Amino acid sequence: MSGKFNILLVDDEKDFLEITTKRLIRRGYNVRSAMTCSEAVLIIESDWPAVVVLDVMLPDRDGIECLKEIKQKRPSAIVILLTGHASMQAGRQSMEYGANDYCLKPIELDELIEKIEIAYREKVKS
Amino acid sequence: MMLDAFKKLFGLNKEKSEAETRLLRRSFQDHYRSFRSLLTANNIALELMAEMEQALGAGQPFSMPFVRGQCTALTVNIYKMVQHLQELSNGKYGGLTGAFNSISGSIEEILSRQPKIAGGKFVLSLAELDIHSTEQAGGKMANLGEIRNRVGLNVPDGFVITAAATKHFIDSNDLQDEINRRLKLLDHDDLEELYTTSASIQQLITKAPLPEDLERLITDQYEELAKRSNGRILVSMRSSALGEDSSNISFAGQYRTQLNVTDDMLGLTYKEIVASKYKSQAIVYRMQRGFRHQDVIMCVGCLAMVDGVVSGVMYSRSPRDPRSGWIIINAAPGLASQVVDGRALTDMFRVSRHSPHEVLNRELRVRESSSLTESQTAELAGIAVRLEEHFGSPQDIEWSIDATSRIIILQSRPLAQTAPVEESGMESIEADETQPYVLAGGVSASAGVACGLVYIVRSNIDLLQFPEGAVLVVTHPLPEWATILNRAVAVVSETGHVTAHLATVSREFGIPAIFGIAHATEKLKNGEMITVDALGRRIYEGRRDDLLKSAPPPANLMAGSPVYKLLEEVLRLITPLNLTNPASPYFMPSSCETFHDITRFCHEKAVTEMFSFSSRYGFDEKGAKQLVGDIPLQWWVINLEDGFREGLDMKDKWIRIEDIVSLPMLAIWEGMTAVQWKGPPPVNLKGFGAVLFQSTMNPSLEPAVRSSMASKSYFLISRNFCNLSVRLGYHFSLAEAHLSDLLTENYVSFQFKGGAADEGRRSIRVNLLKEILEQYDFRVELKADALTARVEKKSASFLIERLKVLGYLLIHTRQIDMVMGEQTMVDNYRRSILADLEKIVQPVKEDMT
Repeated sequence: MSGKFNILLVDDEKDFLEITTKRLIRRGYNVRSAMTCSEAVLIIESDWPAVVVLDVMLPDRDGIECLKEIKQKRPSAIVILLTGHASMQAGRQSMEYGANDYCLKPIELDELIEKIEIAYREKVKS
Repeated sequence: MMLDAFKKLFGLNKEKSEAETRLLRRSFQDHYRSFRSLLTANNIALELMAEMEQALGAGQPFSMPFVRGQCTALTVNIYKMVQHLQELSNGKYGGLTGAFNSISGSIEEILSRQPKIAGGKFVLSLAELDIHSTEQAGGKMANLGEIRNRVGLNVPDGFVITAAATKHFIDSNDLQDEINRRLKLLDHDDLEELYTTSASIQQLITKAPLPEDLERLITDQYEELAKRSNGRILVSMRSSALGEDSSNISFAGQYRTQLNVTDDMLGLTYKEIVASKYKSQAIVYRMQRGFRHQDVIMCVGCLAMVDGVVSGVMYSRSPRDPRSGWIIINAAPGLASQVVDGRALTDMFRVSRHSPHEVLNRELRVRESSSLTESQTAELAGIAVRLEEHFGSPQDIEWSIDATSRIIILQSRPLAQTAPVEESGMESIEADETQPYVLAGGVSASAGVACGLVYIVRSNIDLLQFPEGAVLVVTHPLPEWATILNRAVAVVSETGHVTAHLATVSREFGIPAIFGIAHATEKLKNGEMITVDALGRRIYEGRRDDLLKSAPPPANLMAGSPVYKLLEEVLRLITPLNLTNPASPYFMPSSCETFHDITRFCHEKAVTEMFSFSSRYGFDEKGAKQLVGDIPLQWWVINLEDGFREGLDMKDKWIRIEDIVSLPMLAIWEGMTAVQWKGPPPVNLKGFGAVLFQSTMNPSLEPAVRSSMASKSYFLISRNFCNLSVRLGYHFSLAEAHLSDLLTENYVSFQFKGGAADEGRRSIRVNLLKEILEQYDFRVELKADALTARVEKKSASFLIERLKVLGYLLIHTRQIDMVMGEQTMVDNYRRSILADLEKIVQPVKEDMT
């Protein structure tokens, strides 16, 4: 596996955020979290995260809108969308707007980590 | 010519500058990255498809969110494949986008289809209803209208509040989106959450105001009903849902029924019954039986109360044997509701189906004298036969006899039946008296044998702790216990009988149940292991494998349900493979009719792109090198990335196996060379004749006809990846694997096609291959003489052993179709192959996370 990198988790579900952050840190990643899109955008602008895991339903913005904003600010950002209810249309749109993956909740931590690792490896030049 | 070869050999090709080479190397790396991502997406997509097909066959419940989730994940991965192929091929296959959009559009359309709700009146009187009114009035009330108006039996006077009315009520309060949102977030495995969500949705509905126009219509209908009945009356209000139309699906006891409703409570009761669509047991039931919540629409019947002197339930045939010649009648003094609730003690009568309908036997449990007279049982039986004949299937009928001795039919619906049990096994079965048992007696409410730990439920609080796979032990078989039937392996109840709702649902779910077995909650202790033999009506201590073995396999509960049909329909756009032959002129984007076609096309073209990169750019570094050394046959190797050991001179035209560091290639190689090939088998003249005949008949077997890639045997490799295309004699096979630390991208796949012998011999061989590969955990599909096999998302060490199997088979089965004429030969080959493989393959315990 690649050297451990920075992950930003964006989700308005506090429990999910806290638990996932803790567990990713235990696996050796550097993790920060945000509960709104605007909060997330600020962190992304600072160029801190290598991979962003973004919930599709945020209090201040629709996930796809947030994805658009992130990609506008930083076209190279690696973004994985995470959603509680599946929609083919949203899945396709997310990919069109440059998401690296679109995953369904609930997701096992190991599976999420693999998705993150793969997205990271696909984008970051060796 | 000589000079060119000389130059190439020593890397003196002046035409390429250092900078150019660096650029090419970079471009190749980008290609390889896209290629690898494409393979990962392909791996995920194929696994998703296999999961969907398994869901159809397995008989386990699956829900709409499952179907939608799989389709969404598929869409995302197919999209990725198309994108990556575009990157790889510099946009050569633009037509794929069109195919992708059209297929995913069609799937989306199927997934978002809504049930049609009939428009029209909000309220209809029973006089206006018959069997054709189901869409407006729901099955139960339409049937009652049919019984009144067409069959001519007595039913209570009344009316129905229609599906259109319910839609009006829900729409005018904007409730549906909020209900859907809460349901989507629901984790079905969390009982506590299930109860909370169920309660919150029901509250949401009952608190919403009734539209004024609807309220007025209901009141008006009530006034008219009261007038016909000479004064203020009490009514019963009961659900009559749409979507309860299948004969094997009862929805028994799922929803609310309210008796003795006064006129001031009509509106609230109506809302409560509409809300009861979201009772916890109803949510679970729909999930188990493959219904979307939106497939069920509530109508509400409003019927004048009947003062039942005696009431009950009757089945026009035995629920376990459609050929039975008797009718089962359960009766108790008072109202019918206590009988279906399973609370009241009842008298049970078995009555002949044939006039004069004599009583075959009776069990009087209520008091010493019978609750029904002989003439009443005969009259009821006559009605049961009439209703069965009218509706064309065995019926489950609720009835009451009023103070004037009139028989009034409250409901008639198709009887939920389980598969018929063999004559000898039915009813008459006697338990083995020599074996000690804990309890005996009662009635067999649902046949079968199951084993589990005792769990006694006395209240809803107990339900929350109900362990998966336990035996549900209760005092009364209340309909609400159905909420946990999907977790229970068997049901034991101290009271109740075969006609209770819980018995119906148990039979539908295929869960054995004994009802009416006295002292069960005292004699059985929480946590003790018991075996329930519902047919023999015995409960044994511990696990009784002898009895469990005799139990029939569980039924597929999902088959034929709306969600099942929907998955079937969606799969028709997903799994069929039309693009099977890459050499065909129709192997092109516009021929892709399914997602599987797209994956197949993308994979094929991606491999071709990688293969031809070097020749397209005159890029020697990535050119094919011939494998040299003491090795069988001829092999070429193309290094995609890091498949050769470091420090190797890339300009060489030859390579030795020691210079290769590709894990999957080395595993295949190990399998190929582990046992020396004995040479072609001795062929009898017939087999050889078949070979000659085939090669003259089938020009595609001539190597020259195929593309350059297929005419030799090539390994395309990197450290983690290997794609081996083999052409040996008249067979074409392809082995491919990716091995890494990430399970998501790990797989081994194998394709095999052709052979020189006639069809019969070829088919014997692919069947032998299939058998062997399945023993080694491959998922195998056969189509004529083409075989595909795949295993994915397993650890690298597990997959390495599977690659050895492939390597062995590639070498050792290549010409055996010539001798596949006789069964004894096939058996010999199978034995020797399996013996060899056992020596080569190390057992690896797969710990899937």
